[in-house]
Amino acid sequence: MRSATSSEADRLLPAPLTAVPLVVAVAALVLFPLFDLLRTMLDAAGGGSLVAALDTEAIGNSLWTSALAAVLAVVIGVTAALVTERSAVAPTRGLRVAVLLPLLVPPFVSALAWTRGFGPGGLTDDLFGLTLPGLIGPAGIVIVLAVHAAPLAYLVAAAALATRARPELEWAGRASGAGRRLAFRRITLPLLASAVAGGGALAFVVSLNSFGIPAVLGVPAGFPTITTRIFGDLARSADPAAFRRVLMLSTVLMALVVAVVVVVGRVVRRAVTDAPGAAREPIPGPGSGRGVGLLWGYLAATSLVPLVALALTGLTRAAGLDPWPGNWTLSNFVEAWSGDAWGAAGRSLVLAAAAATVATVLGVLLALSRRRRSGGMGIAAAATFAVPGSVLAVAFLLAYGPWLRDTLLIILLAYLAKFWTLAHRSIAGSTAALDGDAVRAARVSGATGTATLRRVVLPMLRPAITAAWLLVFLFGLHELTMSSLLYGPGTATLAVVTLEVQQLGDVTVTAALAVLLTVPGVLAAIVMGSRRRGT
Amino acid sequence: MTRPAALEVSGLVVRIGAHEILSGIDLSVAAGEVVALLGPSGSGKTTLLSAVAGFLSSAAGEIRIAGELVSSPDRQAPPERRSIGFVFQSYALWPHLTARETVAFPLRAAGIGEDDAGRRADDILTALGIAELAGRRPADMSGGQQQRVGVARALARDAGLYLLDEPTAHLDAATRRAAEAEIAAQREARGAASLYATHDPTEALGLADRVALMRSGRIVQTGTPVEVYERPVDEWAARLTGPVSVVEGSWPAGDAGGTRHGRVAIRPEWVRLEGSTPATVAAVRFRGSFTDLTLDTAVGTIEARMPGAPQQRRGDAVTWEASRVWWLPD
Repeated sequence: MRSATSSEADRLLPAPLTAVPLVVAVAALVLFPLFDLLRTMLDAAGGGSLVAALDTEAIGNSLWTSALAAVLAVVIGVTAALVTERSAVAPTRGLRVAVLLPLLVPPFVSALAWTRGFGPGGLTDDLFGLTLPGLIGPAGIVIVLAVHAAPLAYLVAAAALATRARPELEWAGRASGAGRRLAFRRITLPLLASAVAGGGALAFVVSLNSFGIPAVLGVPAGFPTITTRIFGDLARSADPAAFRRVLMLSTVLMALVVAVVVVVGRVVRRAVTDAPGAAREPIPGPGSGRGVGLLWGYLAATSLVPLVALALTGLTRAAGLDPWPGNWTLSNFVEAWSGDAWGAAGRSLVLAAAAATVATVLGVLLALSRRRRSGGMGIAAAATFAVPGSVLAVAFLLAYGPWLRDTLLIILLAYLAKFWTLAHRSIAGSTAALDGDAVRAARVSGATGTATLRRVVLPMLRPAITAAWLLVFLFGLHELTMSSLLYGPGTATLAVVTLEVQQLGDVTVTAALAVLLTVPGVLAAIVMGSRRRGT
Repeated sequence: MTRPAALEVSGLVVRIGAHEILSGIDLSVAAGEVVALLGPSGSGKTTLLSAVAGFLSSAAGEIRIAGELVSSPDRQAPPERRSIGFVFQSYALWPHLTARETVAFPLRAAGIGEDDAGRRADDILTALGIAELAGRRPADMSGGQQQRVGVARALARDAGLYLLDEPTAHLDAATRRAAEAEIAAQREARGAASLYATHDPTEALGLADRVALMRSGRIVQTGTPVEVYERPVDEWAARLTGPVSVVEGSWPAGDAGGTRHGRVAIRPEWVRLEGSTPATVAAVRFRGSFTDLTLDTAVGTIEARMPGAPQQRRGDAVTWEASRVWWLPD
């Protein structure tokens, strides 16, 4: 089954050593849980009561808020990409990192931060008596979802601007006599169309799967979405009607995500028929410095102000007091640690580190076996990432609940299923290390398979492995959707504890916990960013 | 009476960030003239073409196209207001447009109706011998075909000045000769001037009326191809413009008589295998219509070029002399 170009010499480890763990992982993390979910659904469908359980209100709410958020996210993301990628004047390195920063804040922390920044009794209320109307409710959900999904749309658009809608294509239009607007409309915009579709689909799916944001901004307003309904109903899963609703909503959510991925995947694939470009000296783009200031302003308003407001709330003695130094105290942080938080923080760190380590090992194995019959496994790993966290958690409860309910292990397995592909993609991206020629060069120099792995491939992969580990660690630390469905007595993670405290209404302690949850991520990002600059 | 120069660049300085990419460029291209910018990669050729086209703003100096001031520190006309055609090194074809739509684009931008523009685009494609590409997109073309469509698009602008950035760098030898001929024919048919960036001395010397040698963002020498080849300003210019041996020794000082000691450049075809000075043949390379020899001599290694098939073998003892030498500055 091996492809014609690979040979014995490309094999670095004995086949069983890579194949066995991968097969076990795919079976345990992907096939078994999803199969069990499907089987349970079909059983329930046999009962004929599923359609009655169809919660059209929650489904409708999820659909329209996610669609609106996706449109907004694409507008923000494409505009930001045009600013950073087409600016001939301003240095935009720091700006590029700043645009991506919202990815490093757990979504429900962002939602909390927005309520502290622009909600009643928030920072702008204290300063100017201004609040954002509708922040608690659908309008707020749409805005915060959009702000959170915008960096993803940005990444897709920026990549398209760099590789597809390259600056010289727009310059060629200008040199052909077209003005700035005509060249943008006839050349750059059509070339961005597939990126807009892809980024929009990504933003839509991420918004649809989001639990933390509607949990903070929708639940208090009595505005249910699919994910918050699943959370609410699963808490009462002893009630057969509630459990049927969970199954039904999981099915709908899953079907929506699959439909979007399939349809957009097809559209995007059709659009990507790029000419093989010749080598080129880059010509800077036609951007002006004006957009740079506007983008910094947007980032300050949507990320900096809410996060500062959150930090100030964490420092303030009691909710309702002005967040100024006179009212400052560290007692919220002390109180935050008085409850279950120490244990929860420890569990979060252990879970995240374990998930990161195992996922990275699996990612390396999958990347190494890339050249041999592993396409299906890569797809399997990626499939569970597209599966909404709520659905994945339900599947794991069904599959492993009988043995592992209320253990850390079931949470760890869910994390691995969800984040394995993140590690794999980061590592598989280092093509130079995985390219057959580097391996063959080592083999003709006399190195054995394991020596090649140890002395050539792994050293070349090291930056990618570090990045993969940190990425999974961060996502694990911030994970709320699956943790909140899978935790039991004594297995709550820090994110779950923070959400619980928030739902009890203790604003200042919640803020303190949220700050503690977010700081390690931002620090890790700074470490990662400065490392990358070094190499 | 005299037509204004097609291009007049004076004191041009271009900075990108803190880097000065071009430092005080002075260059003019007369109407109907072809000027080649010859320099290694990174010498600023693309930057100079980009500044002339209006893709980059200048920090100092002026650019005039057909007598019209298009760039000064206070005012930079956008590319669409400059009468130029640009052939990109990377072709820069639009992946979503067919060849006909691509060539019609400048015509449409000039306000010509869709049908008319399509017909004229077809005419241009036919003139370049690529009418069969009209309905194809870049992904379905070879590099040479993309190149020709890029040239066709530039010609459709009907400009007074064509800027060509390494237009033949990515072509195989046969396609390259065809492209060179096309560009030369277009120039003669329309009387347009061209500024032509290349790193290949054969191309620059063979195509241009004048050659400007670029190094590190400066023009170090301008002259006719024969001038820059036979009388390079320094060793760097000598090596840039073709094969050369640079040695130190005493040579006849020319009209004044007597001999003079110093560093000289000797082109391979200036070497004759006769005279009184002994040498050993160190290498023989047959090139088809000529043969390159490497000689070990008392003054150092000398490259020689002889017509026809090899007459010597490696290790043969020969005698040599230089029919002429060019004195390099000390």
